[in-house]
Amino acid sequence: MTEERLNELLDDARRTWPLPPEPDYQAMWERIDREAFAGMRRTTRTPSWRIFSIGLAAALMMGIGLGRFSMKEAPAPTVAAVPTDTAATASGAYDRAASELLGRTVALLTSLPSQGRSVAAGERFSNQATELLTSTRLLLDSPAASDARFKDLLEDLELVLAQIAMLQTGRTRQEIDLITDALEERDVVPRIRSAVARLAAGD
Amino acid sequence: MTHAALAAEASTVPDERFLIARAQRGDRDAARSLYDAHSRRVHRLVFRLCGGDEEMAQDLTQDTFIRVFDKLSSFRGESAFATWVHRIAVTVTLNGLRKERRLKRGADDLDVANDLPAPSDNVDPDLRARLRAAIEALPPGSRASVILHDIEGYTHAEIGEMLGIAEGTSKARLFDARNRLKKALAAYRNE
Repeated sequence: MTEERLNELLDDARRTWPLPPEPDYQAMWERIDREAFAGMRRTTRTPSWRIFSIGLAAALMMGIGLGRFSMKEAPAPTVAAVPTDTAATASGAYDRAASELLGRTVALLTSLPSQGRSVAAGERFSNQATELLTSTRLLLDSPAASDARFKDLLEDLELVLAQIAMLQTGRTRQEIDLITDALEERDVVPRIRSAVARLAAGD
Repeated sequence: MTHAALAAEASTVPDERFLIARAQRGDRDAARSLYDAHSRRVHRLVFRLCGGDEEMAQDLTQDTFIRVFDKLSSFRGESAFATWVHRIAVTVTLNGLRKERRLKRGADDLDVANDLPAPSDNVDPDLRARLRAAIEALPPGSRASVILHDIEGYTHAEIGEMLGIAEGTSKARLFDARNRLKKALAAYRNE
């Protein structure tokens, strides 16, 4: 058999090779979904911020638990006997959490008007905002929110981040315009920057 | 359309990179969209590589996507996503074939001639069926070379990447496989 004849036969094979019968793609997906997502959870690196948030939540829960325990065991004291160095450590942890939250939020808010108008970017911003919203709410429930100015700022951030988290495909442009207007009206970004400066200065 | 063109087309599917990023973070909807976009071509390739065994093709297609999503965090976009997925499909299929030792369907495949679509004017249906049987009787690596290059239309560079071999090795394997096919068909009506 010549090379030309084999090429002719293979050309024919390319056109006539039987296609597989249509499988049940949905049933196939169900097994993939079941097995692959265990793998994805195993291999996906958890963002450091999420780890921190979980740590923060755990610390808050532990604080509440310890508080309740100490109330049961020692109801008499009128002043909480928290060692100074422990209190300072906790305060430092909240400050770091707040600084990181504010830094990431200001980065999101400043890039939103210019980059967030496409559907893809809108969804990316929405996902980031959802993460930041969780952290904001944790901080609002923490001693970090005992400062009235800082609490006001966190509450404004909560509203703005909630809006960004709910960005909807097809309405991204109009929604971002509304969010940008709200940011400007409330001076959110300048307030975040001054809060970051205060935290850095240890006020 | 060449396979490179098909891969280029697949990589321009709107939002695919975004879907990949979302799936890398564990988003099941994004993973499902990627599966929907690529499963048919992967299934067809696997079906052909495993000699038309439909049950095995379904199992190996599922294994391919389980592996794809398990390894997705390591996908950095150096190659087109379609090429990366097909490389995994080829690896999974060849490993599956070795494992199951279901390498040959042999003379049974002569019956496939009855199901052939669009017969060609100058090719005897028996000869067509014999060619297919001869391809399926090749060792797995050689069969993969013929199917990927001559049937699916991949380039040697792409095949080298998929099989983890040099481009020259892919050419040599194909040359060897084609010689085997010529010998297998030589006795048929003076071919």
